[in-house]
Amino acid sequence: MLPFASSGSKVTPRHHASGYSNGYPRGGGKTFDISPHRYQPRGTTPAHRRRNQSLVRIGIVAAVLFLIILFFWSRSGSGGSTALSIFSLGLLSGGADFQLETVRYHDLSNVQGTARGWEREERILVCVPLRDAETHLPMFFAHLKNLTYPHHLIDMAFLVSDSKDNTLGVLTKSMEDIQAWDDDAMHFGEISIIEKDFGQVVNQDVESRHGFAAQAGRRKLMARARNWLLSAALRPYHSWVYWRDVDVETAPFTILEDLMRHNKDVIVPNVWRPLPEWLGGEQPYDLNSWQESDTALLLADTLDEDAVIVEGYAEYATYRPHLAYLRDPYGDPDVEMELDGVGGVSILAKAKVFRYGVHFPAFSFEKHAETEGFGKMARKMDFSVIGLPHYTIWHAYEPSVDDIKHMELAQEQAEKEKAEKAQKMKESFGDTTGQWEKDKTGMQKIAVQEKKKDTAAAAAAAAAVENKAGVQAGEGKT
Amino acid sequence: MARPMGAVRLKKTSPVTLTVGVALCLFILYFLIGSSTPDFSASRKATAASHPLSPPTSPFRKSTGGGKLKPPPVAHYNLNNVTTTPDPLQNRENILLLTPMARFYPAYWDNLLQLKYPHELITLGFILPKTKEGNEATKELQKRITKTQKYGAEKDRFKSIIILREDIDPPISSQDESERHKMQNQKIRRAAMAKARNSLLFSTLGPATSWILWLDADVIETPPTIIQDLARHDQAIIAPNCFQRFWNAEKKEMDERPYDFNNWQDSPTALDLAKQMGPDDILLEGYAEMATFRTLMAYLSKEDGLLHEELPLDGVGGAALLVKADVHRDGAMFPAFSFYNLIETEGFAKMAKRLGWQPVGLPNYKVYHYNE
Repeated sequence: MLPFASSGSKVTPRHHASGYSNGYPRGGGKTFDISPHRYQPRGTTPAHRRRNQSLVRIGIVAAVLFLIILFFWSRSGSGGSTALSIFSLGLLSGGADFQLETVRYHDLSNVQGTARGWEREERILVCVPLRDAETHLPMFFAHLKNLTYPHHLIDMAFLVSDSKDNTLGVLTKSMEDIQAWDDDAMHFGEISIIEKDFGQVVNQDVESRHGFAAQAGRRKLMARARNWLLSAALRPYHSWVYWRDVDVETAPFTILEDLMRHNKDVIVPNVWRPLPEWLGGEQPYDLNSWQESDTALLLADTLDEDAVIVEGYAEYATYRPHLAYLRDPYGDPDVEMELDGVGGVSILAKAKVFRYGVHFPAFSFEKHAETEGFGKMARKMDFSVIGLPHYTIWHAYEPSVDDIKHMELAQEQAEKEKAEKAQKMKESFGDTTGQWEKDKTGMQKIAVQEKKKDTAAAAAAAAAVENKAGVQAGEGKT
Repeated sequence: MARPMGAVRLKKTSPVTLTVGVALCLFILYFLIGSSTPDFSASRKATAASHPLSPPTSPFRKSTGGGKLKPPPVAHYNLNNVTTTPDPLQNRENILLLTPMARFYPAYWDNLLQLKYPHELITLGFILPKTKEGNEATKELQKRITKTQKYGAEKDRFKSIIILREDIDPPISSQDESERHKMQNQKIRRAAMAKARNSLLFSTLGPATSWILWLDADVIETPPTIIQDLARHDQAIIAPNCFQRFWNAEKKEMDERPYDFNNWQDSPTALDLAKQMGPDDILLEGYAEMATFRTLMAYLSKEDGLLHEELPLDGVGGAALLVKADVHRDGAMFPAFSFYNLIETEGFAKMAKRLGWQPVGLPNYKVYHYNE
């Protein structure tokens, strides 16, 4: 700037500037009198200039016409957003005006899943199958908000099937509230709420859910629901998939990182549930996480092709080592155990496991279905399937029909005992209430009589006094 | 700056300059339009997702830059309303066309472009290996995609396109015809192929797809109405017959011969063979060392046969295959392991049968394989 200005000042001396203030050189200096600046009244326009002017007019008309045509052409074509954005120079864009991207490119080798996914911005898909779960949702969302894994890396997918309560309404409301929160750190990534009814015939109450006879059919239906959810929600940008039941009561906020840190293909924690005092305080809950045993393999060979072995029922004695029973409350939570079947309460798996085709068999796969079949299939494809015996999360305790019966019985018993005790008291000590009443009335009678006596005596005394006085007066008179 | 005559010159702007300026403006305007992405119809815009984090089977709104991206909305998908009917056109059902690709054949793309099903209902999904060959194929594929999606006519443009890259361990080794078909390489090759198919399928299926059309990258000729024709049968899994055109030196004319031998009905011999095998061994079709005596659909095609004649199948090939989305959603996938001594597409047919879906073939409805 400076050298340019100074060189300029050499050409046009500043002290003469006043003479040029209106752009015209004035006075006698005439340093730069290149063209003759004389006033010439304009006569007829020269021919070449007339030609130029008509050219300009034609040019302007052509431009306007071109723009109008362009506007209407794009209007009739598709909404005219392009033309509009040109007129507004893109300043008014937004709202209805947007451009579409139709091509997506993803390199799946970037989403294989690593031990420290939160540092590598690895996205995790949380899958939650739901059915008549309205009552559990507040608890679930409390857990969700507390997760320490970066929320923007968590994509949520819910499957609501065959629900008669307001699961869908509560779910939508809760999720929308979270996304509308002021705190950006609370917002989750993609949220899919999927509805699909399978026409489940089995009741969802605890008794019919866990009855042995209903198991095979129920597990196959559950498997279908899980597969529908996963296949509709898994995207090319997911590195991890986390399955979580809605009725988990207590789990560490860091559960995603804790499980991910092990860097296994499929990993499950131990699942227990708290119990009332009279039932022993706590109990293993998820018996679907186990290691295969020879007994079970032999049993499997004897069964029909479509049979499904379910754990935790006396009908199939498999003698398998269960993850749940190996828990030591003071054990190292990082201890790992190889598994063949897994439970579905809380599964963290690398997305590639599902991409390569491992799913929840809705048929009898090596005599297993759903999550147990999932574990088996993952093993079949040489994925690592691991359980953590001393890392425990707690499933909500819902009293079973038996428990409720037990509790009712216990209450009845308590009431009966109370009544008996009262009876016994009565018998051994006799009822003194009547006597007390008698005594009381007797006392009262006595009191009343005494009072009467008193008043009578008082009256008598008064009369006596009067008589006495009269006598005295009489005596005085007389 | 320092020119004393500046203002004078401005006043005397020549009309020629003005004309040149207007012309320049028009020129710039032209390029403004030319360089912007193509416009899409209202119906396409209506189905677009509002956030990049969305099912890949729909296009999404490009962020215009500036301003923070809003958190993704709560999206509802009612899968009870996703239909798969014999008349997909009438019900505007979404098709997901999936192709595992190792080499790009221009004829394949040309064949896609001539499909008579509305392109705005078709999503294309590709998976390519991360090898030198795969990189080349990707480049060529992307070139053709850009040409169609950006500069092509609206009716030619597909709803959305997903390109996936993955190195599947062990990598799909040489694609040479002879090397590829060696028997000992088959299990490894087909397991890798199965993984590629599953990766492609389960990353792209999404909540809106009604039908999945599997079409191999080397299938270069299909009837333009193949989607409507196959869907008409209302079958869960339906496979046309895959043939190959070649120069018949004896007849001195173009001829055709059966190509895909994975569409078959089981035979007692094959079942016996399977029984003698270990649980991890696989049965293969089309090898003299392993005569299965299965009924092969490839040989059942008749010159004068009915075009829409159906044949129930026990094993299917992947050259061309129309599958109801429900089948895959229920869990039927391409086993990368020995499933009842079957693998990949043949294992898929078996798994679908275990789930209660019956595959069907059309011996007289032909598609054509590239001839190398």
